[in-house]
Amino acid sequence: MKKILFILLTFVFFSSYKVVLPDQSEEANAHVKAIYIYNFTKYIEWPQDYKDGNFVVGVMGTNTALLNELTKMASSKTVGSQKIEIQTVLSAVDVPKCNIIYILSDNSAQLADVAGKLKGKSTLIVTDKPGMAKLGSAINFVIFENKQKIELNKANIDKYKLKVASTLVEMAIQIK
Amino acid sequence: MSKLKRIVIFGMLLVLTIYAKAQQENLIAAQTFLQQGNLDSAKHYIDAAVLNSSTANNAQVWYLKGFIYKTIYNKNEKGNRQSPSRLAALTFFKKSLSIDSSQENTQENIKNIKYLATTLYNDAGASLDSIDYKIAIKNFEIFKEYYLLVDPTPANIRQKDIDFTLAIASLYTRIFESDRKEKTEFLSLSKEAYNKILLLEPNNINANYNMGILYYNQAVNLINQQDYDIDIVALNDIQDNSINLFKESLPFMEKAYSLDPRRRETLLGLSGIYFSLNEFEKSNMFKLKLEEIEKQK
Repeated sequence: MKKILFILLTFVFFSSYKVVLPDQSEEANAHVKAIYIYNFTKYIEWPQDYKDGNFVVGVMGTNTALLNELTKMASSKTVGSQKIEIQTVLSAVDVPKCNIIYILSDNSAQLADVAGKLKGKSTLIVTDKPGMAKLGSAINFVIFENKQKIELNKANIDKYKLKVASTLVEMAIQIK
Repeated sequence: MSKLKRIVIFGMLLVLTIYAKAQQENLIAAQTFLQQGNLDSAKHYIDAAVLNSSTANNAQVWYLKGFIYKTIYNKNEKGNRQSPSRLAALTFFKKSLSIDSSQENTQENIKNIKYLATTLYNDAGASLDSIDYKIAIKNFEIFKEYYLLVDPTPANIRQKDIDFTLAIASLYTRIFESDRKEKTEFLSLSKEAYNKILLLEPNNINANYNMGILYYNQAVNLINQQDYDIDIVALNDIQDNSINLFKESLPFMEKAYSLDPRRRETLLGLSGIYFSLNEFEKSNMFKLKLEEIEKQK
C-alpha cells in the first residue's frame, strides 16, 4: 500500500491560563468599619437637636478606601429620615457640628483637641488606635484575635449626652 | 469421495474464491477511490471490506480504513471539534496496531494516532471557553487515551495533564468570577482542579498561587458582599469565616512565595492576606519587598 507523506503537527500551548490578581483587602477592612459605623447609628441615640438635617459623620485622616466605603454607605443608607453626610475634617479647629467624628489612626494625636472642641456637644468620638478609649474616645476600633472589634468607654459616651443600647455595650470590649 | 461430495466441495471453494475476490475488489476499489479523492466511495468500499471474516483481521485493511477516515476528517471535518470521522479513524488505527503481528503498519499507525491525538489536544485547547469547555474535557480525555498508546512515557502525559488542568481550572475561576452568586459550582470545580495538579506536582507555582487566590478572593468577597445593615453579631461570625478562608489561603501563597520570592502577584497576595488577618507588620514587610523589586526594574 502506498504510504502517504505525513505532515507533523505540533502541540499548541494552552494559553487560557491567566493570573488572577488579589482583590483589595483594604476595601474589605474598610467595609467592616463602615458596617460598624452604620450599626452605631442604630445602637446609639442622639438628642433631639441632632436629629434634624443631615446625619453628619466627620472623618479626620487619610484613608481612601475608608472614605470611599463611608461615601458608599452614605449614598445607600439613612438614619431614620436623616440623610447621611460624610465630611472630611482637616483639624480639630474645623470639626463641624456632627453626629460622629471618626479620627483615623494617623490623626490620633488630635484626639485631645477634638474632645476639647466637642465639650458640651453630642458627638460620638470614634478612634482607630490602641489605647484611645482610655484617652477620651467613646468607641475605639481594635484588633482582637485577628478580628475587627470595638472598645467602648461608656463614661465617654455619657459625657456627651448620648444613650447607648446595652446590646452594643455587651458586644464591645469595655474600657473604664 | 462420492461424486456428489466433490461437487459440493467444488461449489464451496468456488463461492469462497468469488467472495474473496469480491473482498479483494472492495479493497482495490477503496484504494483507487481514495487516490482519486472520491472519499464517499472509498469509505463505502472499505466499510464493506472489513465486514468480511477474511479481511476483518487484516492489519493493513484496518490501516487503510483509518487512513480513509482520517482523510475525510482532514478534508471535511477539520473545523468540527467533535469530528466523528476523526474518532472513527483513531479506533481503526488502534485496531490495526493491535492486530499487526508483522508490524508492517506499526510505524504508520503510530504516526497517524499521534497526529490525530495532537489535533484533539489542540482542539481541547481551542475549546477552553465558557461555552465549549465540556468539549475540551472530552477531547482531552480521548487525546490521553490514544496518546498513551503511542507515547506511554509517564512524564510526557503528566505534563500535558498538568497544563490542561491548569487551563481548565483557570477557566472555571473566570466563569465563577463572572457571576459569584449563581456560578458557585465553578468555584468547587476550580479548587478540585488545582488540588489535582498539586497532587501531581506539589511545587507547581501557578496552582499554588491560584489556589491561594481562590481562598483569598472568597474571603474578601464574603466581607464585601455584606450590606451595611448587617448586625454586628452576624458580622462577627462572617469575620470568623472570612479569617478562616484567609488562613486557608496562606499556606498556598507561602508555598508560591517560596518557589519564586520575586513574583509580584504573590507578594501582593501575601501582603493582602496578612493585612486581612490584621497582621499589619507582616503585611507591610511584603509590601516593602514588592516596592524594592519594582524599584529594581
